[in-house]
Amino acid sequence: MSALGQALAIAKKDLRIEVRGRHVAGTILPFAGTLLIAFGLSLGPGRSLLRQTAPGLLWLAVLFASVLAFRQAYQAEGEDGAFESLILAPIDKASVFLGKAAAVVVELLALEAVVVGLVVVLFDLPVGHAPVVLAGAFVLGTIGLAVVGSLFGALAEMPRTREAIFPLLVLPLCTPVLVAGVKATELATTGPAGQAGSWLGLLLAFDVVVTGVGSPLFVYLVED
Amino acid sequence: MASLTDPDALLDEHKPDAGRTGAAPAVQLRAITRVFGVAPALVRVDLRVEAGEVLLLRGPNGAGKSTLLGVIATAISPTYGSGTVFGLDLVAGRDEIRRRSELVGHRTRLYEDLSATENLRFVCALHGADERRVDPALERVGLAPVAGDRVRGYSQGMRQRVALARAFLRSPDLLLLDEPYAGLDDPAKDLVDEEIRATRARGGTVIVATHDPTRGSAATRSLYMDGGRLLPELRRAAR
Repeated sequence: MSALGQALAIAKKDLRIEVRGRHVAGTILPFAGTLLIAFGLSLGPGRSLLRQTAPGLLWLAVLFASVLAFRQAYQAEGEDGAFESLILAPIDKASVFLGKAAAVVVELLALEAVVVGLVVVLFDLPVGHAPVVLAGAFVLGTIGLAVVGSLFGALAEMPRTREAIFPLLVLPLCTPVLVAGVKATELATTGPAGQAGSWLGLLLAFDVVVTGVGSPLFVYLVED
Repeated sequence: MASLTDPDALLDEHKPDAGRTGAAPAVQLRAITRVFGVAPALVRVDLRVEAGEVLLLRGPNGAGKSTLLGVIATAISPTYGSGTVFGLDLVAGRDEIRRRSELVGHRTRLYEDLSATENLRFVCALHGADERRVDPALERVGLAPVAGDRVRGYSQGMRQRVALARAFLRSPDLLLLDEPYAGLDDPAKDLVDEEIRATRARGGTVIVATHDPTRGSAATRSLYMDGGRLLPELRRAAR
């Protein structure tokens, strides 16, 4: 089986586990919703302020929710030592990294569709202005988040690694996604969408660099 | 190189040490030391296991048996020392070693939210094994009636049986069993012994770490481990 086939088999397995366990729908989505409501309440009832801050709040909710999604993706591997089985399988370990990232991308995109709906209702964010740019920002940003999470999720599962290290590693590294995602979302919803190209380019560059560097780094982390 | 049109030749090539002259041992370890933090789990372990042997490892908890099996399976890197499995270096040849070996450990390495069938199909996908072997393997360990249920609802003994079925799927050249009898009832323990004999019968090698004094009748040799060291061995003929 090719490395791509192996990655797809791993992604399919993770998605099947997610469908069975309903972790995104049962835990992560309510968490993101609660976070958005708390942000809204803390900012007060001013409609224009809520609309102005909505892109930032939306991406913060996605970022925090994604941390939970990454942890969940690797917890299933750690429950009964299944991760060792992946490591001992005669496969390209980069396919584990890519397969797990692909599954988290699908889960997060489904989550984001609901979260964006919530932001439209709660904060009156107009999303019909430049939907392609908005979708591009979310797809590219989600890939970046998933790749970082896939890389460091494995580290958090390793013996002698503290679980708390995971958000400490992931959140700072995701800052470029947060900044570019917020800017591109702002431009796609309330600004001149035509100017979002550079932010989308930054997201794409982040995805390419993190995937390129993360793949061999993941292999090194799990093998050595 | 075996002819691609001759299935027997291909099978022969896959047998342990086939095609090698001088009969390289199945496992050869030289002064292997493994340290976790400051605690040595293995201390200068030398071990040679010939192809076709069934080696029994005994010893108290913390003796280093699991670590030794982990090193041979390439799940754990040695801190010092070197070794080969089927003549392949433990580090440089680990992909091929993994292809030819199977470690059945303390943990069953199953996904709780997948069924036994789904777990084994996933193993087939990773190892390139034939998925048609899944149902017979589960039948052999007596789990066919519950094969579609999620593993989360299984008892520890049932999980151990699925782990055993995973070994049946692949017919490895080197079978490493870490406390394989723990949590199993007598019929399942007999299955483990059957698999050990079957592996040996097809020319494979087996290393079993166990506390169970009533088991190990298939062993051709036994060693005792304590404090990370291998102690003088007891030789006996296979029954």
